[in-house]
Amino acid sequence: MRKTGTNHNLLAIALPKGRVLKEAVSLLKKIGIDCSNAITSSRKLIFENKKENIRFMVIRPQDLPTFVEYGAADIGIAGKDVLLEQEKDIYEPLDLGIGFCRMVVAEPKELGLIDNPTHWTQIRVATKYPNITLKYFLRKGIQVETIKLYGSIEAAPLLGLSDRIVDLVATGETLKKNGLIEVEEILKVTSKLICNRASLKTKPERIREVIEKLRQVI
Amino acid sequence: MLKGKNISLPQGAKDILPDEAEKIGLAEEIILSTFKRCGFKRIILPLVEYIDVLSLGMGSDLKEKVFKFIEPSTGRVVAISPDITPQVARVVATRMRDIPLPLKLCYNRSVLRLQDTSSGKSKEVLQIGAEYLTEKQTFQRDAEIIIVAIEALKALGLKDFKIDIGDVSFVRGIIDNLSIDEMERKRVKDAIALKDVSALERLLSKLGGKLKKNTRELIMSIPGFFGTEDVVHRAMDMAPAGVTKDALKNLISVLDIIDKKGLKDFITIDLGEIRGFDYYTGIIFEGFAHGVGKAILNGGRYDNLMAKYAYNCSATGFAFDIENLVIAMDIGT
Repeated sequence: MRKTGTNHNLLAIALPKGRVLKEAVSLLKKIGIDCSNAITSSRKLIFENKKENIRFMVIRPQDLPTFVEYGAADIGIAGKDVLLEQEKDIYEPLDLGIGFCRMVVAEPKELGLIDNPTHWTQIRVATKYPNITLKYFLRKGIQVETIKLYGSIEAAPLLGLSDRIVDLVATGETLKKNGLIEVEEILKVTSKLICNRASLKTKPERIREVIEKLRQVI
Repeated sequence: MLKGKNISLPQGAKDILPDEAEKIGLAEEIILSTFKRCGFKRIILPLVEYIDVLSLGMGSDLKEKVFKFIEPSTGRVVAISPDITPQVARVVATRMRDIPLPLKLCYNRSVLRLQDTSSGKSKEVLQIGAEYLTEKQTFQRDAEIIIVAIEALKALGLKDFKIDIGDVSFVRGIIDNLSIDEMERKRVKDAIALKDVSALERLLSKLGGKLKKNTRELIMSIPGFFGTEDVVHRAMDMAPAGVTKDALKNLISVLDIIDKKGLKDFITIDLGEIRGFDYYTGIIFEGFAHGVGKAILNGGRYDNLMAKYAYNCSATGFAFDIENLVIAMDIGT
């Protein structure tokens, strides 16, 4: 909850580590914010741009909304998957249209041949997104037991941990390699610009400028 | 010593050790003496109440956060209070019914809120707050309560803070009159609450012919109505007559009083702010301090709440979040 320093007009930007980082950096470059050294130096996590009075940090996507909620970063770029899963107390002013992928329900090919989703009443699902999964199936009136995993979700059905999974797919290649097929799409995921509430109130002009400029280029 | 015994606290509960307690004590003292100077009298309300009584004054947002249990002797459901305002409403409507208005009351006590209903994690929040009950709403009263908040923050030695003012009836006046179904209305409001321009654009284009062109333009502008006072005038040019325009006129009068007191520099505006408790009906406000990522106080007008306890009057009030306030004092003084 504490921001360091007394620099009033500093803008702290949180960028997502991994898949979406490159797209995020090039999008910011379009509006004159250069943070390309976030890509080149892989170990450093915090960078200062003294001239523009900007600090940026590279953060794991799952942690990023927390950094923004508590004001460690004023703004950030986060996927809808993480935002919906965590429901943080922040603003989400823009859909940036980057980092596209889909969140789907998948199951082993063999099960898919005999399976009928309209007959599901109780299922067990392995996922990184237990809240989204729970809400999605409850809305359909299906009881679901979620197993929270942190990675290698596709292995769960193969090893008998669960019948089905809820996970992100980009090309579908990983599903295919593990003998899984998509059953239903839960949502289309893109990344959004997110903003700390106090930052928007205390540096409105700085934040507004970023929102408006980004809006022009997306 | 204590080997093998589990002596941990429940999730979300915490001890406050002497150093921290001293800071909190200092803040309490200064705030309560500011309240006293402004004419507010302290009341002490119980920690537990019957849920059906408390529920009269809570919206669905607060109801979800109540920690409840069954009173063994009667089988009735008892709640640990998650918010003091409904309790003030109850006590004024019952025990203090015959005392003539206006009433200025303040309190200093913890409330308990479930933070995450799925995990059962709760959080104790120390609230120091003030409630101002009058026969009618006037812009003078709206300004007065905000000025009390500013005076308290100044007395605490804070210099670098903003009080962000909005009015829930501004957005309600625009959205509640649209001829769209309840699901669509909720989606539009959710997008406004997130200031999500992209989602709003998508929703409005789906609604297509159901909206007039100028209504659409106004709704699309709402997320950008934050910053300095000029957004109120920009909104005024676009707002339809009735509730929406009245809200802006009231707000301008409030800002005028604050300006005359020389406190304008502490004010920011956000007309798109519709977070906060369901029971708010008019002006709402939140305090933010430099270096603290969360609000240090919040409050607003709740003119319909008292009627739920069969007592007709207008009311406004606010409470400090002491945990965040102490952080602001550490940074700012």
